[in-house]
Amino acid sequence: MRIVLVCALLVLASAPRDRAIAQDAVGMILDLVGREDVDFRRLGLDGIRHGAKGEDATRRFAALLAERTPERQVELLHALADRGDPAAIPAVAALLSASREPAVRTAAIGVLGATGGGAEVAVLSESLAATDPERAAAKRALITLRGDDAVRTMIEVAKSGTPAVRPLAIDILAERRARAAVPLCATAAIDADAGVRRAAMRALGKLGGPDEVPAMVRGFLTAAPGAERNDAEKALIAVCTENPGKAQAAESFLAVFKAAGDADRESMLSPLGRIGGKGALAIVDELLADPAKRDFGIRVITRWPDATVADRLFELLAAAQTPAERDTLLAALIRIAPVPENKLNDKQKLELVQKILPLCQKDEERAKLVERVNAIRTVEVFRFVLPFLDDPKLAEPACKSVVELAHHQKLRDAHKDDFAKALDKVIATTKNPELVERATRYKEGKTWERK
Amino acid sequence: MPFDLATLDAPFAALKGYDWGADAAWLKTIDDAVVAAHGDAALGADLEQRLAAVLGAGTSRAAKEYACRKLMMIGTAASVPALAALLGDADNSHMARFALERIPAPEAAQALRDALGTVPPGLQIGMIESLGGRGDAASVPALARLLAGDPKLAAAAATALGHIHTPDALAALTAADPLAGSGVGRAVVDARLMTAEALLASGKRAEARSVYEALANAVQGKPGAKGVELAAARGLLACLDTLAAAS
Repeated sequence: MRIVLVCALLVLASAPRDRAIAQDAVGMILDLVGREDVDFRRLGLDGIRHGAKGEDATRRFAALLAERTPERQVELLHALADRGDPAAIPAVAALLSASREPAVRTAAIGVLGATGGGAEVAVLSESLAATDPERAAAKRALITLRGDDAVRTMIEVAKSGTPAVRPLAIDILAERRARAAVPLCATAAIDADAGVRRAAMRALGKLGGPDEVPAMVRGFLTAAPGAERNDAEKALIAVCTENPGKAQAAESFLAVFKAAGDADRESMLSPLGRIGGKGALAIVDELLADPAKRDFGIRVITRWPDATVADRLFELLAAAQTPAERDTLLAALIRIAPVPENKLNDKQKLELVQKILPLCQKDEERAKLVERVNAIRTVEVFRFVLPFLDDPKLAEPACKSVVELAHHQKLRDAHKDDFAKALDKVIATTKNPELVERATRYKEGKTWERK
Repeated sequence: MPFDLATLDAPFAALKGYDWGADAAWLKTIDDAVVAAHGDAALGADLEQRLAAVLGAGTSRAAKEYACRKLMMIGTAASVPALAALLGDADNSHMARFALERIPAPEAAQALRDALGTVPPGLQIGMIESLGGRGDAASVPALARLLAGDPKLAAAAATALGHIHTPDALAALTAADPLAGSGVGRAVVDARLMTAEALLASGKRAEARSVYEALANAVQGKPGAKGVELAAARGLLACLDTLAAAS
């Protein structure tokens, strides 16, 4: 408090009544940023941002940091960050080292991120161990830091930093799309530290390709069952189904699967099904043909990502050996039939749904199917669903599907009268207040925002 | 192919009785002739004579407006007298200025200067604006005199001087009070800033800097002048910055 008061008195004392106009841009900017009036100060700060080019000018501006109050330091730091001149770094780093004010530290970190390079990685990495907002600022700064040397230095931090910092460093490298970090991540995927492993798998999920699949499988198998294993599986699947080179990555996964021991193969069944493809299906067929491994095979095929296995599922359903097996296979068909990106067109999807319906023996199975079918957004599906509005056991899921289909304005407007009648029926039938509200809005031509 | 002047007879005859809202498809012949007159001096002279004739008595206001618009494009000293005759007429003064402001001949500027002292008071502001629009250095003494008179004319004169931005215009503005009331002070400030910006844009940084400095000094610490101080400071900063960049 006393320091603030002294500073304020100094400023007042240094503000002459008749102010001499500075004879150079830097002098004028220094004068403006020293004023108490916020508008003049902002003008000066704009000058720091965009005017008076050159390192000497930057150093003179940065030198002000040492003599300002924390509030003024923050605004000066923001201006220096926008100026983007590395000449400010020594003064900013000194302030970061000296100040304990969170706002000042966060702003100083922002300047280092905007102007720094590899040399600033060390000091910024120290702030990764702090709490937010300093940690978040350090993360942002390390993501934006320029230069290859910044990546190289950050890889070193990811290799040999503290346990708290290493996962963050890996996340930052992934955010930077630093391909140079892939070998490190491949190694770190089986690190003894779970945090490092998880970060490495996340990074590989973003950056990885076919070459990283063996390492990712090792990471997946090393991951502790539960959340870590699930996340590792997602990363592996992303590489095999989404990233560039996904087809080769899927082949690579199959090769690793075939070469694995029984215990590992058991663990890999889930991603195998979700990665799918002909090669995976051949493996599943082998499993299904072996009575001892049939259960594995069923589990894999029921996790298939698309409808290419629909016929196989129907065959297996017809020959189901237990009620539980039947339920699992039918649930897989109900899940797979309407799902987007299942390699069928809308007509084929509805045909598949119609083929599944007679196989449903329980109301909850039929209800699930009637509800899921709204993922196919066609008028034929709308007409398929309509009769179920009159079936007391299926009316609620049918109401939900009608409302979901009506949500799509083009579809609704193209068949306005039919939808109006159906929505009236929904309003009269459903016990779900949200569906009533939505149906009412759609009838009035209004939109509805999904919460 | 030379433009057939005979094709203009019928449209010009019809133009005399032309009124807004009527079918004007036939005007296209005159429009085409105006375009063709660029690079055809004989056609231009003929057209100008015909258009100037439309400005006389017995033609509609719509016809006069049309003629003024075309004379704005092809007019010379020859059409100035006909246009000048309309400057004192409240209905047609504005369109006559529209043409005179853009006709490059010095006679056009002289007509506006002459009219400044003769037109009714309500039309004087228009003359001032047109002289400013022409950047007419010769009108500076007359405009400078107006700065001390009626506030509306003074504000318009200040703005016009800001467009002229010669040393004399700047001297007149510098002598005026930037904090005067009734909008005059604001117009003076704007005009000085306009002058400074024009000087800066044309590379006369030191001169621009002097304008900003003088303005800053004139209003420094005065109540209600913060906006002016800020504007002057911003301009000064730009000058200093470009000076530094140039050195």
